[in-house]
Amino acid sequence: MSELSRRGFLGIGAVAAAGLSGLLTACSAEPAAPSGGSAATTLRAAFAGGGSAETLNYFVGPSALDFVRARLVHAPLGAIDPAQPDGVSLGALESIDIDDDLTSYTLRLREALTFSDGSPVTSDDLLYSLRAPDELQGLPFTRLVGRGFDLSAAKRLDARTVRLPTASPIADGRLLLCQSMLVIKDGTTEFSPRTPSCGPYLIEGFEAGQQTVLRRNPDWFGDGNGPDEIHLLSISDAEARVNALRGDAADFVSGVSPYSAQSLAEESGFEVSAGEAPYLSNLRFEMNLEHEPFRDERVRRAFRLAVDRQAVVDTVYFGRAAIGNDVPAIGFPSYDSSLEQRLHDPDEARRLLRAAGHDGMSVELTAGPELPGMVETATLIVENLREIGVRATLVELPAGQLYADYEAYQQLPFAAGYNPPAPFEANHTPGTFPEVDTLVATARSAPDAAQRTDASHRAQQLLWEQGNQIIPVFVPTVDAHTDRLSGVRHLQFPDLSAARLASA
Amino acid sequence: MTHFLLVRVGTALATMALLSAALFLATDALPGDAAGTAAGADATAGERAELRERLGLDRPVVERYLAWLGDSLTGDLGRSAAAGRPVGEMLASRFGSSVLLVATAVACIAVAATVLGLLAGLRSGRPVDRLVSSGTVTLLALPEFLLATALLAVFAHGAGLLPAVSLIPLGDSPWQHPQALVLPVASLFLAGVGIATRLLRAAVATAAESPAVEQARLSGERGPRLAWSYVLPAAAPAVQGLAVTTAGLLGGSLVVETLFNYPGVGSELARAVAYRDTAVVQGFGLALAGTALLVLLLGDLVSGLLDVRSRSASATGLRGERRLR
Amino acid sequence: MTRSGPRRLLLVLLVLLTALALIGPWLPLSSPTERIAAPFQPPGAGHLLGTDFLGRDVLARTAHGGRTLLLQALAATALGSAVGLLIGTLAGLARRGPLTWLLRLVDGVAAVPGLLVVLLTAAGSPGSDLAVLVAVTLVSVPFSVRVIGTATARLTELGYVRTALARGDGRLDVARRDILPNIAREAWAEAGLRFIAATQLCATAGFLGLGAPAPEANWGRLVRENAAGAAAQPWATLAPAFLLVLLALGTTLLADRLTAPARPQHPPQRTPS
Repeated sequence: MSELSRRGFLGIGAVAAAGLSGLLTACSAEPAAPSGGSAATTLRAAFAGGGSAETLNYFVGPSALDFVRARLVHAPLGAIDPAQPDGVSLGALESIDIDDDLTSYTLRLREALTFSDGSPVTSDDLLYSLRAPDELQGLPFTRLVGRGFDLSAAKRLDARTVRLPTASPIADGRLLLCQSMLVIKDGTTEFSPRTPSCGPYLIEGFEAGQQTVLRRNPDWFGDGNGPDEIHLLSISDAEARVNALRGDAADFVSGVSPYSAQSLAEESGFEVSAGEAPYLSNLRFEMNLEHEPFRDERVRRAFRLAVDRQAVVDTVYFGRAAIGNDVPAIGFPSYDSSLEQRLHDPDEARRLLRAAGHDGMSVELTAGPELPGMVETATLIVENLREIGVRATLVELPAGQLYADYEAYQQLPFAAGYNPPAPFEANHTPGTFPEVDTLVATARSAPDAAQRTDASHRAQQLLWEQGNQIIPVFVPTVDAHTDRLSGVRHLQFPDLSAARLASA
Repeated sequence: MTHFLLVRVGTALATMALLSAALFLATDALPGDAAGTAAGADATAGERAELRERLGLDRPVVERYLAWLGDSLTGDLGRSAAAGRPVGEMLASRFGSSVLLVATAVACIAVAATVLGLLAGLRSGRPVDRLVSSGTVTLLALPEFLLATALLAVFAHGAGLLPAVSLIPLGDSPWQHPQALVLPVASLFLAGVGIATRLLRAAVATAAESPAVEQARLSGERGPRLAWSYVLPAAAPAVQGLAVTTAGLLGGSLVVETLFNYPGVGSELARAVAYRDTAVVQGFGLALAGTALLVLLLGDLVSGLLDVRSRSASATGLRGERRLR
Repeated sequence: MTRSGPRRLLLVLLVLLTALALIGPWLPLSSPTERIAAPFQPPGAGHLLGTDFLGRDVLARTAHGGRTLLLQALAATALGSAVGLLIGTLAGLARRGPLTWLLRLVDGVAAVPGLLVVLLTAAGSPGSDLAVLVAVTLVSVPFSVRVIGTATARLTELGYVRTALARGDGRLDVARRDILPNIAREAWAEAGLRFIAATQLCATAGFLGLGAPAPEANWGRLVRENAAGAAAQPWATLAPAFLLVLLALGTTLLADRLTAPARPQHPPQRTPS
């Protein structure tokens, strides 16, 4: 059952800084092709789900599916989109303007946006939506905006405009606003299929842990070429999801294990799609600086050189992953791709380890099946470390357990972890390298864009040289679907709203 | 009989009380808690503390248990820590499906075990007995997960005949979609039919040598009539064995439900343990254990009633059977 | 029952299998954790049973995968039987009072799904084979107590035991001198049944990913790990599955033989998982 709940509990983290599905057909660069026929289409899409704990209240929903569903039902403010100059494409919002001194943001709602009960979406609704994560005691990942902005001081300017002061000057507030913020109606506290919503789809039926039936919202502002109905199926086991696809019980399955993806890709009738940068989670192995040997920069470098990244990409992910360079946030605009790629060099690693006087050191690597391939990669890394003379052992935790006791997790000497796709600066956790912290602060708040980029690159350079993370690979969410299905956009999570299903 | 019933029901209730405390403490003692699982890696320390407080996890465990106990006595089984859904509601949506799955499997087992048990028991030592016995021994040796994996490989992947995943359309009950039930039921059937057949075969073989059956045989009774009217009643206490099998299958459904994505209690239970969802582990675990206790009690009662002729003899006989569990 | 020929063969196989499982890790095979080729390669030179999902030698991993399982099951059985004997005989000797109530309670506790106990215990100390052992023992004890208790209670009716108790002999003495020798056969048979149940439960725990963590091989775990590639490389799944079945089959027949002469109707009990 290592598979059992693995994807289910991916939940929180995976959505955390989610760029998630854009669902922004109206704003997408390419106009969607007209749909094939007039017959009603139903798309059956399977996700890991969260068992009977699934909920329509996405603020407290534990699984990624809860948020995928919410993005289809409630209009998102926008989505992270590195192709756009601002780094985001907008949804329910028409514009986000930033004051020159980076202390205040002005949000403007798009015109003629209405809830399913017919009432217009107003700035009061927007204000409520911004504050709802805090007021409704949402899980931490829903409360990103509250960390960067002073929500209590937010003001309504007119029927469609809200002024939102920052807590301290930030340049990347657009990213925060568009990561996980959805629009709900003022005063909403309960979430049921009848709760008014303004997203591309409306809820027809919902049974936690089994199925959600969604019907297209006729009043949605987008061009509405998507399926008439979307059935979101909850199938917790990854192999069972693939079985559902093979048995024609689903048209689309999310979160396919690397090996199944490989074999499906070779079969006819199926297509496999993997997210591309920046929609990749970073798989990281953190060396705790409280652990004596890791205080020596040479030991950290030795560990990084010991890892055979290409072997991880080939063996664990069958090529469906991007090689990592120990710096997070690949594919985001500020990612420094000019850094030299770190290669596998066991000889140099052995030399460094000996020079530091730590050859033969023992270390315990802790990992869990929280991201596809995490345990497998950890297994290979342990083998790699043994090759350079480290007495490495692997501790595998059952699914869902890695982060369950976070205090204990932070004490681990050498632990696996992952971060969902998110820009580096806004998600940087300060406290380890003060110099990097200062640079990141500059990268977030300097008035000039060039200054910000420069500071960010210098911070990444430092992390590349001395950091305590090994990031061997960036891992996509791998999805598979029948070849009759097209038009699924691959963002952090699949965007199904523009999918087209040819008749069998 | 009344005394027996009272004692058994009393014991069952005491067991449930003890179990609830044990389950609560065991789930609580696991490293980490639901707040940690829910918060994820990117939460701040303050957010974690707030979440813990909201879920009531900052209160001492005994206090939380007593509160839970008090509520559950009034029918409120608490709320899931994962998303705040009432446990009673979750249980209601899942329990029926599990019961349906296990009950269908048990019904099939009862029929197959009776037929095979009679066939083998009445021809003790002859080829048909050896065939049945070898078959049951082999099945006994196969754990549920191997059976389910093999069935999946053969019928769902290889032949593509049956759905590998039990997807039940919204608002329907699994019995409206028999094809979704076939493989999960088959896994449980194969897992249980071995033991049940052996129990019945043994009881039949013993009964076949009893004076009553011998008498009937001498007076010319043969074949199905002999089996049905004389041997089977004598072997009735084996019904207890079926109850024992059923109780075992309730637990075995945990693996089977997970592999087939069947929306039952077992698959949910495993998720709840991983999530540290104490209230759900409590509610679902007790529901499973309670059902098992009830089935065992019914088995004892029925076999006792069927065996009225020799109550005193059956007392030791029943005890003998108990070891089979 | 099966004819003695095939059965004897199976018993020989069982002995061989046990030996193989125990010495497997010492056999001169390649490392069970080292990657030697691409994942899910069919059998070939250097990897007689092909490679697993990470490109490791299936033969080596299968050879490594039995010992822990076997030792876990054996230790759980020994522990469970010991506790069962102690509590069972004492409770059986007690004609009334708390110990008889204990028997009833044990009856109820046995109704808890064994897998739930294993899940909880193993989640409590992740990655520990010991935790699985403890859990399997916990599941096994009530059954042993029940059987031993019943057997003892039957003997207690007998004259010499009554006399001994009436004489004021200590219960432990009576248990050792008058009870144990007379329930030895039942105790052994019961231990056999417990062992089968324990093997299956341990294998299921491995299948569920409980117990020793990732690189460790365990037949149950191997089945799970490699099931996804079963179409391309069936040996990675079949080899451990086959050995598991063989082990269980062998022990079932052995237990049968232990029970058969005295009471032919004592079949083993299916894992109450």
